Amino acid sequence: MTELARALEQLRAPDEERYGGKSASLGELIAGGIPVPPGFAVSTAAFEAFLAAGSLRETVAELLAGVDPEDVGAVTDASAAVALAMRRTPVPESVSAEVEAHYAALAAASAKRQPPVAVRSSARGEDSAEATFAGQQETYLWVRGTDGVCEAIRGCWISLYSPEAISYRARMADSGSPPAMGVAVQLMVDAAVSGVMFTCSPLTGDPSVVAINASWGLGLGVVGGEVTPDDFLISKVSREVLRATIADKAVEYVPDPGGRGTHRVAVAEPRRSAACLDAEQLRALVATAAGVERHFGARQDVEWAIARTGSLPENLFVLQSRPVTATAKAGSQAVADRTGLDAMSLVLSTFGVKPQRD
Amino acid sequence: MSTTKKSAFPSPLSIATPAGCEGWEEMYPYYALLSEDRREADEQRLWFWNSMHFPEPMPAFDVVAIDGPYYALANWQNRVFAIPPAMGIDYRIVNGYVFITPNAVSDPELIAERAAYFGERAGYYFGHWDELYGRWREKMEKLIAQITALEVPQLETYEEDAVAFEDRDTAFVRVLDSYNLALRMHEQMWQHHFEFLLLGYGAYLTFSDFCKSALPEIPDQHIAQMVSGIDVLLFRPDTELRRLAKLAREAGVDGSFSNGRTPEDIIAELGRSEAGRTWLAALEAVKDPWFNMGSGDGFYHHHRSWLDDPSIPFSAIRGHIDALAEGRDTERPTEHLTAERNRLAQEYGALLDEAARATFNELLGLSRTVFPYVEEHKFFCEYWFQSRFFNKIREFGALLATHGFLRDGEDVFQLSRHEVGEALEELVLTWAHGGPPRGPHHWPPIVERRRALLERLREWTPPPAMGTMPTEAINDPISVMLWGITPERLQSWASAMSGDSTTLSGAAASPGVAEGLARVVRDVHEITDVQPGEILVSTVTSPAWAPIFPKIRAAVTDIGGIMSHAAIVCREYGVPAVVGTGRATAEIRTGQRLRVDGTTGVVTLLDDEEPA
Repeated sequence: MTELARALEQLRAPDEERYGGKSASLGELIAGGIPVPPGFAVSTAAFEAFLAAGSLRETVAELLAGVDPEDVGAVTDASAAVALAMRRTPVPESVSAEVEAHYAALAAASAKRQPPVAVRSSARGEDSAEATFAGQQETYLWVRGTDGVCEAIRGCWISLYSPEAISYRARMADSGSPPAMGVAVQLMVDAAVSGVMFTCSPLTGDPSVVAINASWGLGLGVVGGEVTPDDFLISKVSREVLRATIADKAVEYVPDPGGRGTHRVAVAEPRRSAACLDAEQLRALVATAAGVERHFGARQDVEWAIARTGSLPENLFVLQSRPVTATAKAGSQAVADRTGLDAMSLVLSTFGVKPQRD
Repeated sequence: MSTTKKSAFPSPLSIATPAGCEGWEEMYPYYALLSEDRREADEQRLWFWNSMHFPEPMPAFDVVAIDGPYYALANWQNRVFAIPPAMGIDYRIVNGYVFITPNAVSDPELIAERAAYFGERAGYYFGHWDELYGRWREKMEKLIAQITALEVPQLETYEEDAVAFEDRDTAFVRVLDSYNLALRMHEQMWQHHFEFLLLGYGAYLTFSDFCKSALPEIPDQHIAQMVSGIDVLLFRPDTELRRLAKLAREAGVDGSFSNGRTPEDIIAELGRSEAGRTWLAALEAVKDPWFNMGSGDGFYHHHRSWLDDPSIPFSAIRGHIDALAEGRDTERPTEHLTAERNRLAQEYGALLDEAARATFNELLGLSRTVFPYVEEHKFFCEYWFQSRFFNKIREFGALLATHGFLRDGEDVFQLSRHEVGEALEELVLTWAHGGPPRGPHHWPPIVERRRALLERLREWTPPPAMGTMPTEAINDPISVMLWGITPERLQSWASAMSGDSTTLSGAAASPGVAEGLARVVRDVHEITDVQPGEILVSTVTSPAWAPIFPKIRAAVTDIGGIMSHAAIVCREYGVPAVVGTGRATAEIRTGQRLRVDGTTGVVTLLDDEEPA
C-alpha cells in the first residue's frame, strides 16, 4: 500500500524521493530540534493517485503533445487547458481521507476547530535547476478546513503545469519520469515579522556572518520581493550587529479579515520606517541560524517567522531551509593566492614583493 | 599628470592667512613652506592635515618633532628597507599646521629593484625579531640615560680649576657641544623609533589583509583584538595608579585626595602622617619608570611627563578612588580580554579550511610577535625620551634667561633649533669677551610676537586635506595603518567639506551606540575638564589619556585608524568610538548632544543647542 501522507516530524532526508525536498527538510529540522510549525506532508503518490483518477494522465499528455516550447501562446493555452482539466477532477477520496485525518490531528494539537494552515508545494530535487521554478510553485496561506486544504493541494499540483514549467521541461527534452510533487501542510504562523536569513554573507560567502532580511507581517512580501526589507548583518563570532539598513517598508501581508487567505495592507508610520527586529529577536535568529547550519553541516538559506503571540524563543519558527549553493566561496582566489606561503613571503608581498612559490 | 577635474579640496596655495596672523612663516624652515617654485608639484599632490600628531600650531622649536620623525621614517623606509612602493613622508606647514603626503614609487622596474633590498633586509629583521628588539630596548634605555645626564654648563665668572689644570674643555665648547649633542640624541631617538615600526605595521597589515580576503565581513576591531597584547607596557602606568588608589583606601588616606586639591597639597598632607608617608614611599617606588608616561604624544614641548606635571596621575588616582568607593571594579578585565582574544582567534580559525587556517595561524603568530614593539615603543620614545629631551632644552632656556637673552626659560621654545644655537653662540661669545650682548634686545620681541601668533593661529581650523584627490589608492602601509587614509576616508572628508551635515562618518572603531553631551578637547590641557558621562571629541587621543576613558560614554576623533590609540582603549573599556571623522572638532561644540554609533562609524549631531 503506497503511503499518501505522513506527519512532518516523521520525515527524514531519504524521504525526499516520495515527499519532495521541502517536506523532507522540514522533517530534518524538527529532528534537529529546530522549531518548525507542526504539520503533515502529502506524498507524490497522492499526486499519482490524482492523475490516475479519471483519465487525467492521458488528458494531460494529449494537451501537451506537440506543443512548441518556443511558442508562448501555445504553451500558455496548453497550461490553461491542463489547469482546467485538473480543476474539474476531484481530489481522490483516498487522499482527502488522509488529509482529513491529519488535519484533525493538527486541530486537536492547536485546540482550534479549523486552524489556519499554509499549504506549499514540495518538489523533488529542490536544489536542482528545476527548483528555480520553486517561485512559480504555489503557496497558499491561511487555508482552513479539509476541503480548503484539498483545494490548495490541487492548486500546488496544477502549478507543475505553469507555462514556464511546461516550456522548461520541453526544452530540457525531459523524457524521463513525468513530473511529480509532494505538498507540505503546516499550521499557520501569524507572523508579526518574518523574512529570510543566510548563514553566510550572500554577497561574499563569508561564513562568519548571518545575513537577515526582515519585514512586517507574513513572509510573502520579503520572499516575493514586494518590500525592501530591513537588512542586518550579524557576526556569528561576536553576535554583534555589523550593519543594519532599515528600509521603508510600505506594505505588509496580514491574515484576511474574512479568516481565509491573506490581505495586503499599507504600513503606517512610525512602523513603516522603524526597525522590525530588536536586539533580542536578532540574537534569537542568529542562534537559530547557527542551529540549522550545524544540523545540516552546510550553509543554509532559512525562511523564518516570529509570531504575534507568545514570546521568544517559543514564538520563533523556521518555515523552511535550503542549502546555499549560489554564493561564491569567500574570496577564494585571494585566499588561494595566499595559502601555502610562509608568513614571511606574505609580509613581503604586503610591501610589494611578489611571493615566490617553490 | 595634470588634471582638469575640480578637486574637492582647496589648492594648498589658495589657503589664506587668518587675519592678524601675517608673518607666521618666520617661525618655520624655508623648506616647510609652500612657494611658487613648487606650486605645480604641490597642487597636484594630496596633503592631509596630520592632526593625529600635530593637532596644534607648531611652536618654532617644536619643528624638531616634525623633522626628526620624518627624517627617520623616510631614511628607514626609503633608504634602508627600500619598501618597494613607498618612499617617505613629505610635509608642509600652513598657518602653523602640519600637512603631509606620502611619496609613492610607481615605476614597476624601480619597485622590483627595491624589492630585492627589502626582501633581504626586512627578512633579517623578521627572522631575528626578539633578539633585535631586546637590543633595541637596551639602546633606548642607554640613550635616555645619556640625555638625562647631559651637562648644561653654567657660565661662571671664572672657569673651574679642571679647565686650568686638567685639560678640561672650556665652557664655550661644552655649552655648544652639549646643545648639539642634545639635538643629535633627539635625532637618534627617532632613528630608533622607526627601526622596527614599519615592519611591525607591515606584519599586522598582512594578517589583516588575509583575514579580509578569507572573511570579507570581519570587523577591523576583531582583527585588532586578536593581535593586541594584553599585558602591554603602555597600560602599566595606569595599572600602577589603580594600585596606588587601592593602597590609599586600605591605608585610610584616601580622604587626602578630595576634590580641588593640588598634588602639592595632597603630598604635604600625606607627609604629616605615618600612613601617608608609607603611601608616598609606594608612590616613589612606582615613579621610576612609570611616571615617565607623558600627558601628550611628545610632539610638543608642553607635553610633560607625569613626573613634571603630576596633576594627571593625581586626578586619575582620585577617579580610581571614587570608583572603588562606589564599588566599581577598576581593574582592567585582563582575564576577560585574554579569553576573548583567544576565543575570537579560535572561532575565526575554525571557519576556515585547513590550508587557510594554517596561514591564518602563522600570520597571527607573527603579528603577535611584532606587536609588542608597535605598542611599546611609544613609552620609550615619545614619552620617556621626549620629556627628558624637552627638559634638557629647558635647561638651555634657563641658561639664556639667566643671561637676559630670554625673559623666561620657557621662551626658548619660541625660537627654532637653529636660532637657539645662534643665541647660545652669541651668549658664549659675549660671556667670554665681556662686551655688550645684542641678544637681550634681539630675542624677547621675537618671542612675544610668536606667542601672539600661535595664540591666533590656534583659532583657525585647518581643512582635513588640500590639493588633488589621488587617482590611485594610497598603498603606503604606514599611511593606511596609522592615519587611516583610505580612498573611502578621503571621499567622506571631501563630501563633509561640501556642505553642512548633521552626520559625520569615520571608522567604526569600537562597537556600540551611545548618546550624550560632547566635550571638545583640542589641547591636552583640557582633558581634566572632561566630566563623567560626556562624549570625548578630540583631534586625536594619546595613551596618556587612559585615565579618562573609564568615565566617558563614547569617543570621536578627527583622525586615526582602527589601530589608533583611541580605538584600542575604547575597545578595552567597551566604550563606543568613531575615529578618523576628519572634522569632528570643527563641527561639534562642547555641550552639543550627539549620538555615536561605533558599530557603523556614524556620529549624529542631535541638536544645535549650547549648554545653558
